[in-house]
Amino acid sequence: MRIIVDEARCEGYGFCAEAAPHLLELDDEGELTVLTEQVGQDERADAEAAVRVCPVAALKLAP
Amino acid sequence: MRDVVIVGGSIAAVTAADALRQQGHDGPITIVSDERHAPYVRPPLSKGMLKGTESVDSVFMAPLRADLDFRPKTRARGLDLGRRRVLLEGGEELPYDGLVVASGARARRLGPPEAGELVVRDLDDALRLRESLTTARSVVIVGGGFLGMEIASTARGLGLDVTVVDRDPPLVRQFGAFLAGHMTRAALAAGVRLVHAPDGVRLAGTPATAVLTGDGAPLEADVIVTAAGDLPNVEWLAGSGLGGPGGLLVDERCRVAPGVVAAGDVVTRVSDHTDLPRRSPHWGSAIDQARAAALALLKGDEAPEYRPSPYYWTEQWGLDIKICGRILPGCETHVVTGSMEEGSALLQWTRDGATVAAATVNHRMPVVKLRKLAAAPVPERTTG
Repeated sequence: MRIIVDEARCEGYGFCAEAAPHLLELDDEGELTVLTEQVGQDERADAEAAVRVCPVAALKLAP
Repeated sequence: MRDVVIVGGSIAAVTAADALRQQGHDGPITIVSDERHAPYVRPPLSKGMLKGTESVDSVFMAPLRADLDFRPKTRARGLDLGRRRVLLEGGEELPYDGLVVASGARARRLGPPEAGELVVRDLDDALRLRESLTTARSVVIVGGGFLGMEIASTARGLGLDVTVVDRDPPLVRQFGAFLAGHMTRAALAAGVRLVHAPDGVRLAGTPATAVLTGDGAPLEADVIVTAAGDLPNVEWLAGSGLGGPGGLLVDERCRVAPGVVAAGDVVTRVSDHTDLPRRSPHWGSAIDQARAAALALLKGDEAPEYRPSPYYWTEQWGLDIKICGRILPGCETHVVTGSMEEGSALLQWTRDGATVAAATVNHRMPVVKLRKLAAAPVPERTTG
């Protein structure tokens, strides 16, 4: 399972990084970095929570 | 704490459930939502989805966690605080050890139900308006706030004849005079008609076909939209001793009563600026309050206090505006970089020498930086 960021849609709100700080990080330039390439089963719920708080649907989970 | 019941189905409700699980709560969580839809995001309803640049499907949130009992089309009609039970329409009672009230708000309407005015609050509202805008030639929008002006911008973009009527000048309360003035000029340049109705308006016709102001001629249109604020959904709490017309008052940890917390648009809290209770019905507030409320439910006084950091945005007339802080009456505006004339700027607002807000206009900046600027000194060389 991977987190996919649609960079064209991401506007740097940062709600996702607050929801899953160990998986996602918003850097000083406002660019969202995925910290973990492969999201394990135990981290899946946090990744999904991060996806849900995005107001512009810029995050997705892919198998 | 074992059984948690969450009343509401929007972002505050969903975030509270996520936060409870993240904090280790493994007991049953039941979410009751009176909507027929799965949880969805509201910001695009008056923006991309209304324009048609975003699909309807794109507004739905990722599926909820499997370990939640989500019940759509389920309306709470009462609360028995003493017995710790949420009373549902139909007679069922849900016992709880912890209750999260996230029942939100609904659109304020000017007319009776048969007036048929359109509003934009939930997905079905937005779908109805989108459909109407595709066949109508003219629209009158009552309310010149964020929502009203976003709808005006979209309708104008679709080629409709657009009138916005309000008792106050558009956006001044949200933006202050400087930025509101700029947005008003952008609306006028786009061909929108702005009508000032200091005595308020009434709807005429059943269904409504016109808006009446105190003195002028009736404002007739194919579609009448009311975007005149919202009302917190507190009626179901009647008799419980909780909630009033202004919302559900929370303490500094989003608590309402023993075992009861609240988050989102239903919440009112005493403002740090004015000592008066006020609501902050924005996406970011709902998320922050939901996380604070979940922690307070689990940890009580050990939970950190909720520190609001207001953050909100709007899109209209091709301008993408993001704001941190609160633009208070009497603020001084500073253009830090760029200019409104160039269509891209960074702004700060000060009051009594202290910075109280910052905003970007078509100017990409990380929210963390904008948050800092909302409290950082204004560079000396700027004027405004």
